[in-house]
Amino acid sequence: MHEAPRSIIPVICVVAAMIAIPVNAQDTGQAAPEATAPRPASDYRKLEALPNWTGVWAPDWAYLFGRADGPPKPELTPAAAAKLEAFEAAKEKGENLQGQIANCIPPGMPGIMRMPYPIEFVFTPNAVYVITETFSQVRRIYTDGRSLPEDPDPFFNGHSIGRWEGDTLVVETIGLNPKMELQGGINPTEKTRIVERFRLADPGRMMVDMTITDPDVFAKPFTSQMAYVLKPDWEMREYVCQENNRDAADEFGRPTLNID
Amino acid sequence: MLRTRSLLLGCAVAVAAMPAAAHHSTALFHWGKEVPLTNATVERWDWTNPHVFLYVRVPNKAGGTDRWAFEGMSPNHLSREGWSKRTLKPGDRINLTYYPLKDGRKGGFNVSVTFADGKTIRQLPAGAPASAAREQ
Repeated sequence: MHEAPRSIIPVICVVAAMIAIPVNAQDTGQAAPEATAPRPASDYRKLEALPNWTGVWAPDWAYLFGRADGPPKPELTPAAAAKLEAFEAAKEKGENLQGQIANCIPPGMPGIMRMPYPIEFVFTPNAVYVITETFSQVRRIYTDGRSLPEDPDPFFNGHSIGRWEGDTLVVETIGLNPKMELQGGINPTEKTRIVERFRLADPGRMMVDMTITDPDVFAKPFTSQMAYVLKPDWEMREYVCQENNRDAADEFGRPTLNID
Repeated sequence: MLRTRSLLLGCAVAVAAMPAAAHHSTALFHWGKEVPLTNATVERWDWTNPHVFLYVRVPNKAGGTDRWAFEGMSPNHLSREGWSKRTLKPGDRINLTYYPLKDGRKGGFNVSVTFADGKTIRQLPAGAPASAAREQ
């Protein structure tokens, strides 16, 4: 008789938790978890209609930092231009020479797509995953028809949804972390929106057109391009930045290197 | 939309500037100013991310040896360019070239390594123009 009540307690707790979880989800106004529910196997067969992006794709360095006239220069709002000017001026004092990436903090979007190491794509019925070798990160691009979140938490890589327009994957991203940089001295805001268009220019070459808009930052949409080259004989490697990082940047972007 | 000419020029610039965007800027180094260091003996070879490190000892005028330290690219880059964790080992006698640290410490960014048999391997591909060095 003494055993029974005690054995019921865990059951009650489990039931209470089951009740509590959906209530909390409703409280936060988040979409019901239907989009992440298990998918019927037939959805996987639909993937066969998508273009084949299997393999390891290395960035074309010419697009990374190879332009003779420097990185693409956006047309900025007066406020953003003044901020960038101050950022550049501080370099004369030895500041802003090194970003937090030197402290092994990932760059976030769009920088994570412009690292000198390869990426790969994984298609599922729900999403396209972009796996970046640099920092071993994953971008989740939901292709299941869901909307972008209305008031997203700031994420380094933002929140992304995608849709297929023929063989082109169109990706919208919002919810970037304002502490990150769109480019040196230019930070995103809650209004920043990135649209990427991924397509194969030929079977071994992928082009990505990127447009960034933000009425507080850009006077007109900021467009740029990236290219990736298929590397049939490459495998993705791990990248644990903290393994042996001897570089650093302080809060003013002043670099150091430990050679002891 | 880049034209061919700027693409080709761009490739060279990219090579020179690569470590910058990989993980950090080139601000600490006299980037592009390749300096030789001969008669070095490998003390340690760190095949690690985000950068490899090469520590060597070189005879000094006082009759002893000085320790020099060189940052390099990453295993992720170098493994695809023919380097490996076994490329160097303690005791190997090498000559090398490097971009010096601006602060005068004995070290810098390793550019090339030449082995006793005369074979040379490069962290950065040859022909990267010094003038193209740029901080990212």
